[in-house]
Amino acid sequence: MDLFLQYLANGVVVGSSYVLVAVGLTLIFGILHVVNFAHGEFYMLGGYAGITASTAFGLPLPASLAVVAAVSCLLGLGAEALLHRGLKNQDQTSSIIASFGLAVALQNAVMVTMGPQPELMHTELAYKAIELGPVFLPAPRALIPPAMLIIVGALFAALRWTWTGRSLRAMAQHETVARLCGVKVRRVAVITFMLGATLAGVAGFMMSAVYMVHPLVGNMIVLKAFIVVIIGGMGSPLGAAAAGLLLGVIESMTSAYLTNGLRDVVGFLLVIAVLLFRPQGLFGRSLERS
Amino acid sequence: MTNFSRRTVLAMTGAALATPSLLRAQSGGTVKIGAMLPLSGPASIEGHQVLKGVEFAIKQANAAGGVFGKPVELAIEDDEANSTRGVTAVRKLIESENVPFIVGTYPTAVVVAANKVSKEYGVPMLSGGSTGAAGTEANTPGDPWFFRCWPDSNGQGHDTAMAIVNTFGAKKVAIIHDSSNYGTTLAAQVTRIVSDAGGEIVSNDSFNVGEADFSTMLTRIRTLKPDAVYIGGWAGDGATIVRQAAGVGLRTQFVGSGSMVSDDFIKLAGPASEGFAVATLYEPSTPNEKGKAFGEAFEAEYGHSAGTLNALGYDSTSIGIEALRRAGESDGRKVQEVLNNGMADFPIAMGPAGTTADYNEIGSVDFKNFIAVIKDGKRTLSGA
Repeated sequence: MDLFLQYLANGVVVGSSYVLVAVGLTLIFGILHVVNFAHGEFYMLGGYAGITASTAFGLPLPASLAVVAAVSCLLGLGAEALLHRGLKNQDQTSSIIASFGLAVALQNAVMVTMGPQPELMHTELAYKAIELGPVFLPAPRALIPPAMLIIVGALFAALRWTWTGRSLRAMAQHETVARLCGVKVRRVAVITFMLGATLAGVAGFMMSAVYMVHPLVGNMIVLKAFIVVIIGGMGSPLGAAAAGLLLGVIESMTSAYLTNGLRDVVGFLLVIAVLLFRPQGLFGRSLERS
Repeated sequence: MTNFSRRTVLAMTGAALATPSLLRAQSGGTVKIGAMLPLSGPASIEGHQVLKGVEFAIKQANAAGGVFGKPVELAIEDDEANSTRGVTAVRKLIESENVPFIVGTYPTAVVVAANKVSKEYGVPMLSGGSTGAAGTEANTPGDPWFFRCWPDSNGQGHDTAMAIVNTFGAKKVAIIHDSSNYGTTLAAQVTRIVSDAGGEIVSNDSFNVGEADFSTMLTRIRTLKPDAVYIGGWAGDGATIVRQAAGVGLRTQFVGSGSMVSDDFIKLAGPASEGFAVATLYEPSTPNEKGKAFGEAFEAEYGHSAGTLNALGYDSTSIGIEALRRAGESDGRKVQEVLNNGMADFPIAMGPAGTTADYNEIGSVDFKNFIAVIKDGKRTLSGA
């Protein structure tokens, strides 16, 4: 039982990081209908920006966080111009392919400037730990679930109660009607991308104290994020949050009670099952077109 | 024309191009040798380290008067760790630079592709870091054209497994490996040898290259109380595992595959790397005299201590230059004959004291790997 709780805690930590990346991905899809395969690179660049700011320039953590947010916003701005503004009048496959291209370009740009070796953020926190009964977590890991709750909570509050949030939701429901009601579509698109990139970038930054960052780290992260988004229902941020935690816990239990080799298999099996039997996702609503 | 295979046409073109230029090279002011390494792309870090060793060997040879009374000049090509680029690079080195031998390259897949071409041209290759058994297994026994002056990855796996059982006296061993060919092959080999030697394999886990979180798997392994944990995979993943193992309180003897021999591994794993053991071909503190001399000279020149990749670049290049000198002329076929039969007295920097370039019939020099243990953030040879 003690071990079970430890496995559960591990799963929640990993799941929380999935949530942060997947929520941004599902926002961009839900609001703008852009399938962004370069989302893992937002995570990767957030990690590099944070490590560079805190290690190379010696900035304290809050200042590094601001740097990460700024870099991510710029990245979101650029990605929006390319994947949404530039291609929105074309077939959706154009932006999917373009996002693949963007991912490869960003990976190689980082490979050339930072080199292929993995990096890790060194903090004093690494030597502290938190014990809750039988559960033992090093501090950088223990901080991830509460940070996720705060960030995602703030996001939901903003979506619910601010005018910007309302216009984002309006866009998600119907672009033309939103435009008729006076929503500035272009502004919403830019904000969505900046938000998505910042969520992923902050996740990358927080995780860089726990996991290593290297130029190709985004490949696996984006796949996990897609699993989460599909299980949770494409375009549903709440679904992504629930599915992210679920995936983290399922993976941890698979590794604990079956074998680690099956860990990544289970997630994809779940995706296939969801697509076959509940294509709108576990938490999505099915839309009947009239 | 359709009767000619592409290979024949290539060989004829090569011969036609090479014959006049071979004559020209003899009368030039320098003696050219070739190197082909991944200087960009995924293996570029390794490629540049090997290149340092190559350049250092040439510098030493030139300080000693060069070859045939002329200075040695390096013609270098970048293969980007890509087989297609590797084949082009070999052609360019042979056809336009007409080098008598090529030091290269790092990825074994590129070696196998490129060596087919260089063999047709009659130019031998000396490994620039490739350790996969496939490189020398592709040779015709008795007539190798690819020479590697250190044991292949099977030898490394064997020596590591024996160290787990003998040096560390482990009875219960847990195996963790990545799902690549490299990790899977090594894990299977270690499993077999440890079991044969009477050890018990308590768990066997695989992971995908680049996987981020091992905490659950390591927590489970902790409950099995293994005497040793073997990790087969790349350095980045190995460092992550060792760090996270410390985080979940799994304290035991960790033993890694050869890729974890770099200083980067120690930097990434941090204090958790203390006590970690890995097989290595070369350390500056080696009991091998030639290796010690090389290590001191290298450090004086570059200001940092020499690593395995520097040492193997240095050895392959100095063997090639000496074979060229013994062959008497800049002719690839003659150099290959000397490499094959006439170098058994030439000492090399890697391996135990007294190791020489005594290639076996498939072009490999088999010696026992050192086992290094990380102590105070530095690899130290156990028993040396």
